[in-house]
Amino acid sequence: MAKSHWIERRLQPTDSLLATATVTLAAIVLALLLGGLLMLPFTPHPGQAYWAIVENAFGSLRGLGFTLVKATPLILIALGTIVAWRTSFFYLGFEGTLLLGAAATVWVALRAAPQEGLAGLPGWIFFPLVIGAAFAAGGLWAGAVGFLRSRFGGNEVLVSLMTNYVAILLVNYLVSGPLRAPGDLPQTERIPETTLLPFFIPDTRAHAGFLLALLAALLVWLFLRRTPLGYELIATGFSERAARYGGIPTSQRLVLAAFLAGGLGALAGLVEVLGVQFRLMDGIAQGTGFVGVVVALLGKLNPLGSVVAAILYAGMGVGSEVLQRRAGLPSSVIFIVQSLIVLLILAGDLLRYYRFTWPFRTGRLTATARPRE
Amino acid sequence: MELSQIFTAAFVVTWLAAALGLAGPVLLASLGEIFGERSGVLNIGIEGTMLLGALASFLVTFYTGSPWLGLTGALATGVLVALLLAWMYVTVRASQVVVGIVFNTLALGLASYGYRLAMGGQTQVQKIPMFGPVYLPGLSDLPALGPILFEHSVMFYLTAALVLAAGYLLYRTRFGLNLRAVGENPRAADTAGISVVRMRYAGVLFSGATAGMAGAYLVLAQLGIFRDNIIAGRGFIALAIVIFGRWNPYLAAAAAVIFGIADALQLSLQIFQLDLPAQLLLSLPYLLTILAMSGLLGRSLSPTALMTPYTKD
Repeated sequence: MAKSHWIERRLQPTDSLLATATVTLAAIVLALLLGGLLMLPFTPHPGQAYWAIVENAFGSLRGLGFTLVKATPLILIALGTIVAWRTSFFYLGFEGTLLLGAAATVWVALRAAPQEGLAGLPGWIFFPLVIGAAFAAGGLWAGAVGFLRSRFGGNEVLVSLMTNYVAILLVNYLVSGPLRAPGDLPQTERIPETTLLPFFIPDTRAHAGFLLALLAALLVWLFLRRTPLGYELIATGFSERAARYGGIPTSQRLVLAAFLAGGLGALAGLVEVLGVQFRLMDGIAQGTGFVGVVVALLGKLNPLGSVVAAILYAGMGVGSEVLQRRAGLPSSVIFIVQSLIVLLILAGDLLRYYRFTWPFRTGRLTATARPRE
Repeated sequence: MELSQIFTAAFVVTWLAAALGLAGPVLLASLGEIFGERSGVLNIGIEGTMLLGALASFLVTFYTGSPWLGLTGALATGVLVALLLAWMYVTVRASQVVVGIVFNTLALGLASYGYRLAMGGQTQVQKIPMFGPVYLPGLSDLPALGPILFEHSVMFYLTAALVLAAGYLLYRTRFGLNLRAVGENPRAADTAGISVVRMRYAGVLFSGATAGMAGAYLVLAQLGIFRDNIIAGRGFIALAIVIFGRWNPYLAAAAAVIFGIADALQLSLQIFQLDLPAQLLLSLPYLLTILAMSGLLGRSLSPTALMTPYTKD
């Protein structure tokens, strides 16, 4: 077969950095172009709209504050995703761990109200305590799923999806029963002022939870890259059988990964309660648990990459909401663009099997990359 | 209040009728999902597919005035969307979990955008013509059984018929046998000359078709309106029903009814102000699904190749 082609199939998919970067960039450009088309019925200038989104999200201190607030729970859930998925534990219960963490946080914070058991506790004791409580609540919640998987061989994807609903109902029970405040709405009392996370950029809503998320990202990176235990988790993720053969107690490591993932996911609930909502009520997760997973994937399951991805993702969301309020451009367009970027990057994987060739040049060995028929 | 006062005959009849009504849409969605999973593809994207089906059925019915055309539109949308998903799952061989989750967020954006684009000028909630309850002479007049079984919409009977059709297709035809073979041992099936790719595309297309129709079920037979949050996790409940029903259409129907009974009971208990957390009842189906899926009750019966992309060489 001596026919020359523009495009040739490779024997092995390429792993080169250039190919990955090209595919990623092409996916982003294509998604932005498609989003621009979707904007046309609402504005004749999609380019200006995109620019306005960037300006609203990052151009002012106030906008940046909102962006960081939105990015914070996404970072924490992405970190949980990284720990779990790197260990090949495909946990999808982050809606649930977020709610569990929020519930535990509110419960502890309400104890710190005047006349309650923890009243007058200084911040340097209270915050570690509440962080520990939330982490433990979410950790045990997800750890139980890890235990089921490692002990009985259950399917963690489906089980963890189901636990989300149990958590939603649990919160629903708490806010309409035991923790309900007097009033018409099913919600708890507002937590005391002393328990709120301080704002760390003046005149913005950016609260210290973002710094907590950054610290967590650093710790997760160090843990996975620089500690023997982190290495064992990743080894378990690559091949459970090989890791076990190498002497790693993979069952325990799976449960550990699940515990850490749940704990990190619960901190997302903590920052939402102590920094944004100030009380527990229905519907505070609203899909954040899934968006966080998407952010982790965009960050290539790398802690620092995920921080960047979360800030960009949150910024696009914040900017587009401002645009919706001011110019009537539906913020769903940006939602579509964000999902399309991920889907196109995934689909771009197929391109790694092909290479471009210059069909008019002869004399070179073209037989090297002939497709296997 | 005494329990005997609550569980009167009239209450039980209303309760069971409501239970079957609630079971309908999720059962319809789970029927196709069974085919997807039996072929080895876990299609988490049915949540988003249901949403797009709901939107399509709403818009088509709004502009044409015919719920039947609306249902057709939802079916077409479901199949179209499933074609994209199948390409990602089977041809690109991307992670099924990732594609499903991301697709659901994409669908949320698309539905919100589509509704806004088509209905932009309308400020108040628009109602559309719906499928009414079907009156079956004789059957609908039966005491107790009539109101429970024979006063539902045409979508309910369509779903019931599809349960039988799905059972027949899965267990009594060559196609069903091949599909199950591909989900259990794709390499062996491939060696025996069954196209893994074709079977998996078929499985995903089935799941998309019924998920799209399930969205239409909600809009055309139960709510009559469209909202962004109309599906509210019903796609995931359909996944639970597939597991709880052990990947078998008949058992899935039973599972859906159990879910519906728990769901309907808590609605009634709220009316009676009974001192029992309704959330406990509501969470029972999920807890049972977790139990069924965890492996605690013996070996998991899920298709062996579920979630594993197939490479030929």
